[in-house]
Amino acid sequence: MRFALRRLGFFVITLWAALTLNFLLPRLMPGNPALAMLSKFHGQLGPGTLHALEVLFGVNTQKGIVAQYFSYLHQVFTGNFGPSLDFYPESVTSVIGSAIWWTVGLVGVTTVLAFILGTGLGILSAWRRGGRLDSVVPPVFVITSAIPYFWVGMVLVLIFGITLGWLPTQGGYYVSTDTPGLNLTFFQDVLSHAFLPAITLLITTIGTWILTMRNTMITTLAEDYVRMARAKGLPGRRIMTDYAARNAILPNLTGFAMSLGFVVSGAILIEYVFNYPGVGFLLLQAVQGEDYPLEQALFLLITVAVLFAILLADIATALLDPRTRTAG
Amino acid sequence: MSLPIGMPTAPDTTGQAAGTEPGPVAGRPRPPADHALARMGRAIRHNRKATTGTVLLLIFLFAALFPGLIAKDSPSADAYAPKLGLSTAHLLGTTAYGQDMWAQLVYGTRNVMIIAFVVGLAATGIAVLIGVAAAYLGGLWDGSLSLLTDVLLVIPLFPLLIIIAGYAHGGGTLVLILVITVTSWSYTARQLRSQALSLRHRDFLEAARVRGERRLYIIVVEVIPTMTSLIVASFLTNALYAVLFASSLQFIGLGDPNTQSWGTMLYWAQNNAALQTGQPMWALAPGACIAALGAAFALLNYAFDEIGNPALRPVRRKRVTRA
Amino acid sequence: MRRLKAIGALVAVGLLAAACSAGKGGGNGGSNGNGSTKATNTVTISNENGALWTCNFSPFNGSDTLLSVGFVYEPLVYVNALQNGKTTPMLATSWKWGSGNTSLTFTIRSGVKFSDGTPMTAADVVYTFNLIKKYPALDLTGDWAVLSSVTQSGSNQVVMKFKHPAVPAFYYIAGQTPIVPQHIWSKISNPVSYPDSSPVGTGPYKVNPCTKSNITYTANPHYWQPGLPKVTKVQYPAFTSNNTANDQLANGQAQWGSQYIPSIKTFYTAKSPSFHYWFPPTVNVSLVPNLKNPLLANVKVRQAMSDAIDRAKVSSIGESGYEPPANQAGIVTPTFSSWLNSSLISKYNYSYNPARAKQILASAGFKMGSDGIMANSKGQKLSFSVINIGDYSDWVASMQVVAQNLKAVGIQVTPDNLSNTDFTASLYTGKYQLAFYDQQTFGPSPYYELRNWLDSAGTAPIGQTATTNYERYSSPATDKLFSEYAASTSVAQQHSIMSQVEQVMLSDLPIIPVVQAVDWYQYDDSSLTGWPTPGNPYAQPAAYAYPDMEQVLLHLKAK
Repeated sequence: MRFALRRLGFFVITLWAALTLNFLLPRLMPGNPALAMLSKFHGQLGPGTLHALEVLFGVNTQKGIVAQYFSYLHQVFTGNFGPSLDFYPESVTSVIGSAIWWTVGLVGVTTVLAFILGTGLGILSAWRRGGRLDSVVPPVFVITSAIPYFWVGMVLVLIFGITLGWLPTQGGYYVSTDTPGLNLTFFQDVLSHAFLPAITLLITTIGTWILTMRNTMITTLAEDYVRMARAKGLPGRRIMTDYAARNAILPNLTGFAMSLGFVVSGAILIEYVFNYPGVGFLLLQAVQGEDYPLEQALFLLITVAVLFAILLADIATALLDPRTRTAG
Repeated sequence: MSLPIGMPTAPDTTGQAAGTEPGPVAGRPRPPADHALARMGRAIRHNRKATTGTVLLLIFLFAALFPGLIAKDSPSADAYAPKLGLSTAHLLGTTAYGQDMWAQLVYGTRNVMIIAFVVGLAATGIAVLIGVAAAYLGGLWDGSLSLLTDVLLVIPLFPLLIIIAGYAHGGGTLVLILVITVTSWSYTARQLRSQALSLRHRDFLEAARVRGERRLYIIVVEVIPTMTSLIVASFLTNALYAVLFASSLQFIGLGDPNTQSWGTMLYWAQNNAALQTGQPMWALAPGACIAALGAAFALLNYAFDEIGNPALRPVRRKRVTRA
Repeated sequence: MRRLKAIGALVAVGLLAAACSAGKGGGNGGSNGNGSTKATNTVTISNENGALWTCNFSPFNGSDTLLSVGFVYEPLVYVNALQNGKTTPMLATSWKWGSGNTSLTFTIRSGVKFSDGTPMTAADVVYTFNLIKKYPALDLTGDWAVLSSVTQSGSNQVVMKFKHPAVPAFYYIAGQTPIVPQHIWSKISNPVSYPDSSPVGTGPYKVNPCTKSNITYTANPHYWQPGLPKVTKVQYPAFTSNNTANDQLANGQAQWGSQYIPSIKTFYTAKSPSFHYWFPPTVNVSLVPNLKNPLLANVKVRQAMSDAIDRAKVSSIGESGYEPPANQAGIVTPTFSSWLNSSLISKYNYSYNPARAKQILASAGFKMGSDGIMANSKGQKLSFSVINIGDYSDWVASMQVVAQNLKAVGIQVTPDNLSNTDFTASLYTGKYQLAFYDQQTFGPSPYYELRNWLDSAGTAPIGQTATTNYERYSSPATDKLFSEYAASTSVAQQHSIMSQVEQVMLSDLPIIPVVQAVDWYQYDDSSLTGWPTPGNPYAQPAAYAYPDMEQVLLHLKAK
């Protein structure tokens, strides 16, 4: 119970930190960037919208900074992030709503796949130390994990999209010919557009899982209880899965959650290379278009998503491993 | 951005320090720092990954320091016919603006290496400061510094970087360096703290305390040199991140497009649809360099992990020869 | 564990199979048309707008005009800026200037219906103009800056009275003001924020339907031109990135493009013999000196700059050859070639001449310093910063070439690439030394652009907002030229006045034109014909040019 409370407490503190960062950043930057933005929209914004923006960015306000902070928090917690400036007059929440499912689909599915495949390969590689798999796997994946995500994407675009022409390389679906809906053509279209970005994400993220799983697995295999199991004469496969892997995977779970932040970051660049219409691409558009309300909201969204994932992973670890509940 | 390989992802490393400890010394006692460096040198030579990484790194360093020796053209002059292919005159061809790509690649190395080393050193410095201070000062200091580190660790860095760079309206290299340094030290700070914690109760430190040395002295002269190996590894991690983050920011147009750098080459290539218009080298070459430099750092990092944890070293089967 | 891997592999293969089959069917080939049969009375537009559609079509909202004015709403007359103002009567059948060019009478066409079946009359015209008078935020073209009254006369005539002669304003009043139905707009309480999601107008199309990702226009059954439009359906998808839009053109899925396409020959025209492009020049992109800067105020410095810039190279390298070199007279060619006074051009003879540039600087008392930068006797160096819009990568590249050119004669310019908002803020308030920019509006003669640049009515002191005259040029003699032009309907007199303006450009060099901005235009004539071409420039060909896109759509038909 205390453990859960502590993790929850950490979650709340980090959320508060992200909110405060969002609040402080535009106010700290030299020449409040929001001022320029507001003058661009002079005359076009309704009074309610104007007020929402003032609260978010601290423009034209007579209040002291503490009072500003509380109005900002109040506004955020009522879900009012103001209008998107690039997509005016749509609200930020509605703009994000149309992009989020693309990212959840792409990143969610690929990450889970990478985790499963990677952990599996890592376990196998560690189990057969010195074998062929093990001599190939570490150096190859050390290198692939240092390759920038977007470059892998570009190479795949060049080979499969342009030279061979097998798969489309831009966008989420063929905008001019297909309409979104529950039909087979649309579904196929989405899949074909998602394939290359997904493979890119898979290739670049799988290395981490393989190698960390392998490392922790190796350390675990040296433990006494594994030797005991071997001495008892248990079949190799059973030792590998039930004794070693189960224990080795636990640190990996926490690492999985912590790495989610990195996966999201990498996904941003992949969406950029493929012009995939997810939240990462939206964030880059917002920055290029100086759409500050949208940027802020996206940053919060990404942070909250990562935090949730970590919270879930921590809970999962706690449930699976009693030791962590009592540890410090 | 993937995690640096070889770094344990578990939040609390249990004492398996990648550092060294002076065992019982026979004869004249040598200062601990010398031990560590000499040991490192030998280890690098014997470990294949470390050798490869070092060689790659040295190549890039050379290119950064003496670009004129490798590339004879100016990287920015629009002096040639555009979109030329590979040839002996232009090793990688020319860009759509008539600039020699090979020269751009070589001269761009300097910007990347500067970012890598400055951010690597600065971020490691901050990480050492915060990590070791947290471990050593303990109590409320430890609590708050650890909390700060953990919070910064989970906040997704790249989106934060994008937003800050966006507000700063994409400044030049200096802004990039500042912004990346300030946000990316937390991962290595965590590990340094773990190791410092595990060292706290070692005998040689007890001895120093009993001798009456002040805390600052102990930290600087006794603790930190013992952690040299992990500090070097942290530097490599931070340098790797710096290269990836900075190149990514430049790629999406948040750097200064007029600087010579691999990331800005990618920006221009993307803007000119280089892949779709038959100029793939423009995008592939700088990307390959980033990958190679990153691989160099990662290989060295991995090698260090192997050196520190003998269990991870490759198993070499002895050939049994018949007499 | 192995089982999991096997399942994973199977899933991957399955997805790949599904994806590949879709890829082929989705029109991945580069030929015309795509897998699904496209009726040849449909045209798909590829114009990246950077955002999804809001499905608002108010003709008075600057972000929505390109979607409604021309498609749904029409002006009184179509004025073609590419053919020196050639007119085509639309909702007005004829017009006449009267009493010293201070009154203009239109005869309104009869038999025109709005798309809801209601007849359009002169009353609607009068209503529209008085609506935008009442709500100045709706007056996008600034009609009421020159109008004093608009009234109906008889059953089908509209009389407009001007405050002072403003003949060039015809382009805006008759050619760009959309006529809206009184019976709908008079019921709107706040026209400024009215989204107009189901627009009713006299134009050839209705919106049917609009979604975030695509607008479909279908032919208006009540349209007043019989048998038109022949293209009964227009698809206008929303693109958020340039590359995706370009891709759809290269795939043949869109036939009418208004895109900036890098390396267009390899990317686009090489893919099919029916793919074409044409970029008609519209306005000058100029190096804008801040004339309040003491060094830049020296005309010889500006002359040297004009001589030192290799405009042909900026055009071919920085703009990939899409934007032709400009001339110092500021006359855009070939669009306005008939206005170019060739004797003046040869008299001043500005050309790429770095040697002469150095001579001019020497005669102004500048000497080359040891750092390669010219300085005068007081030690002031010819070293400036030039602000640029960082997002426009072709302008950034062009500025790199310009900087290299100027450096060769000892003038150092350091590019400062700003965001769009920062740039316009600095430019408008005069907080810059040099800038690289073009005018945002275009008209049927050089008057429109040059007046914006040179008329002192468009400028303001440093620190206040200048609307169009950013370089802070002010000359009463030049102002007089522009007001004389505005009072005249005689083509001969207009040409003679423009020559004097060219003289100003050549001798005073208030701005230094470098290249000429263009309309972006690509088209696929495999199934549709009637496209505007250099030989037949019957309208501005970009899909975002309003109301010109109406003319294009009215000319298109199946092959």
